[in-house]
Amino acid sequence: MLLSVCDNSKLITSYHKKGNNPMKPSTIIITAVAVLLLAGCASVPPPELVNARQSYEQAINSPAAQLVPAEVHKAKQALAIAEKSFKDDPKSYKTVDLSYIADRKAKMAVALGVTAAEQAKEENANKEYQSAQDQVMKNTKSDLATQTENAKTANENLAAQTQITNETKADLATQTQMTTAANTDLTKQTAITKSAKDDLAASERTVDQKNLQLAAETGARMDAENRAAKAQAALVKLAAVKEEARGLVITLSGSVLFASNKSSLLPAARERLSQVSDALMETKERKITIEGYTDSQGSDKTNMDLSQKRADAVRKYIISRGYSAALIEANGLGKDRPVADNASAEGRANNRRVEIIVDRGPVNK
Amino acid sequence: MKQFYYSITLVSVLAVLILAGCGSAPEVNKEASTSAIRAAEESGASKVPSASLYLQLAKEELEFAKALAANDEKEKAESMLLRAQADGELAVALSRSVKDKTEATDAVERVRQFQIDNQLPQERK
Repeated sequence: MLLSVCDNSKLITSYHKKGNNPMKPSTIIITAVAVLLLAGCASVPPPELVNARQSYEQAINSPAAQLVPAEVHKAKQALAIAEKSFKDDPKSYKTVDLSYIADRKAKMAVALGVTAAEQAKEENANKEYQSAQDQVMKNTKSDLATQTENAKTANENLAAQTQITNETKADLATQTQMTTAANTDLTKQTAITKSAKDDLAASERTVDQKNLQLAAETGARMDAENRAAKAQAALVKLAAVKEEARGLVITLSGSVLFASNKSSLLPAARERLSQVSDALMETKERKITIEGYTDSQGSDKTNMDLSQKRADAVRKYIISRGYSAALIEANGLGKDRPVADNASAEGRANNRRVEIIVDRGPVNK
Repeated sequence: MKQFYYSITLVSVLAVLILAGCGSAPEVNKEASTSAIRAAEESGASKVPSASLYLQLAKEELEFAKALAANDEKEKAESMLLRAQADGELAVALSRSVKDKTEATDAVERVRQFQIDNQLPQERK
């Protein structure tokens, strides 16, 4: 493999060394052929040189021409040296070796071109990778910003909702409080209403009772008035009776009731007072005032004592007839309030009297 | 006297040179070719099919150069060392080009997957 020798040239050379005879035509032809062969041998490059030329052609037609022009130039120089050696000494081992080296230089230029291309490819890929990373980073930042913005918006919405919730809670608390207050008021009003109803019912009962009482009182009053009217009619027949501002005044003559200067009732007087008492019993709920009077004869003290005793005697008798003692008052008034002239005997007789004053209405209890 | 010392010195230098020349084979500079082979091995060329061939050639050429040198064919040896260097460097370049191609493919795939994962629009190639 390593020995690259032009065997043809050896053969031709050996053949050329044998020719010492005069030249015949055939010899001339042979010589010419031999010369041509020698010339051809000189022009036939060794395989190494052929390979070197092909490799160089490949190199200048490969990306190496653009990517590693310096290496292609080295290959070119190596090939030029080999070509020169081939031109100067085509058979020499130097030509073969220089062609061999030129072939390797051209192949190496191609290989370095490939390396440069691959490095450029890798560099582009790395740039693209970096660009992609930047893009991803940019997208991530953008997404993060968007997410941050979304989170911010969500927080704001949450805050707003929390605010609304708090307000709603506050409103609810207020409404609950108002409802509680309303319930309390309602309870109070219910109690008040119940109380009012109870009061109303009590009032109605009271009214009913009062109405009943009033009706009873009215009935009683009418009854009393009837009885009073009856009594008054009966009294008119028994004694002088007259209506005055202080009440119904029944005047009994002193001569009928008592002996002269005496305070004990006469028998005839008892009968008259009995009838008067019966008539008064019809109005027994009324206050009665019994007033005793004398004429102007005698001392005032005597007249006062006598008139008091006579009033007391009448009071006692009426009480004995069943009239309430608490309602009867007896007063001795002596010669006061004369109803007639004491100068005459008739006048003095009229002044000696007992008046029974019956009040207009029943006693308030 | 001065000419005598000059002659002595010249003879001594020639003697040293002769002794050195008779002691071993002519030295050739293998540093560039061995460095290229080492670099190819470190770049993982033996595991890359397209590069491993040239690495193997470089090694054979180095050995052949050594043989030539041992055979006192220094010029051929040096020329052969240049071939070994060229094959070694080509092995490095091919190994790296394959490695870069893999890395570029991975980078493109990483971008594509990243774009899919993140639902990004993909550029049409």
